[in-house]
Amino acid sequence: MSYRTLNFYVSLIEETQLRNGGNLMYKASAIFIGILIAIMVTFNGILANYTDQYVSILIIHMVGFIALIIILILKKEKFKLKKDIPFYLFSGGLIGVFVVFLNNLCFNSLGASLTLSLGIFGQLVLACFIDHYGLFGLNIYKFKKKKIIGFFIILLGLVTMIIY
Amino acid sequence: MLYIILAVLCGCITIISMIINSHLSKKIGVFQGAFINYAVGLISTILLLTIVKNSVDLSFSSFDGIPLWALLGGLLGVMVVSASNIVIPKIPTIYTTLLIFIGQLFTGILIDYFRVGFVSKGKIIGGLLILIGLIYNSNVDKKELAA
Repeated sequence: MSYRTLNFYVSLIEETQLRNGGNLMYKASAIFIGILIAIMVTFNGILANYTDQYVSILIIHMVGFIALIIILILKKEKFKLKKDIPFYLFSGGLIGVFVVFLNNLCFNSLGASLTLSLGIFGQLVLACFIDHYGLFGLNIYKFKKKKIIGFFIILLGLVTMIIY
Repeated sequence: MLYIILAVLCGCITIISMIINSHLSKKIGVFQGAFINYAVGLISTILLLTIVKNSVDLSFSSFDGIPLWALLGGLLGVMVVSASNIVIPKIPTIYTTLLIFIGQLFTGILIDYFRVGFVSKGKIIGGLLILIGLIYNSNVDKKELAA
């Protein structure tokens, strides 16, 4: 496909998006991200079975690290590290190690769907907490008591998944 | 039971690392942010390995029998981080979790089916209940934002 035809298709898609009231493409992409996450957790969990917990984390980070070096070289980006970056912003990678570790551990005993669903529950609860107090410099969104109903249904779903 | 608690905990720290990474990528760009993220992760892993293990066998023979695709989880992680940084700012946050969860749940059920050979009714019904709860809470948020 030539660049021009590609451009044409992109503008066609954008036009359709406008007619559909916006970001349909992005919404589809968000679902696609979810699919990628599920596959990633599975690959990582299976890798941990082949090697062991710790070596698998090393391999996962090495592969990602190499991929990013290649991307940065291809994009010819200049490093902007000089800027004053608060120290805590570097801790994301450290937390990521524990995320991978726990995911691998849980995947092999709980399976993919339950691990991911429980993870979502943890995310939702903490997200409400963070929003309520406006932690990490985010805007404050007070917790709506009505959302307890939603959380109750979610919890019911989790229990159903675990028991049956 | 222990694993259930650990999986919830894993979700909690996932959102913290997501927030930190998005702050970082706002300052230095998506890919450099991810680069720092993985560099710190790699260093932490190496430190962790030296603490918990006396020796690590990284010779090629130790990789025998591992299918190539199983090594690609790290690459998928990079794709997830990059795609998230492009997509998430463009859709209302109340939809983000919902949409990502839909993708995760259905793929997760499919994967469980292929690994074990069957999927229990409980997983499907439970998944749908979670979805209903998520949609309900999204609507609560939506009303608040509209008001």
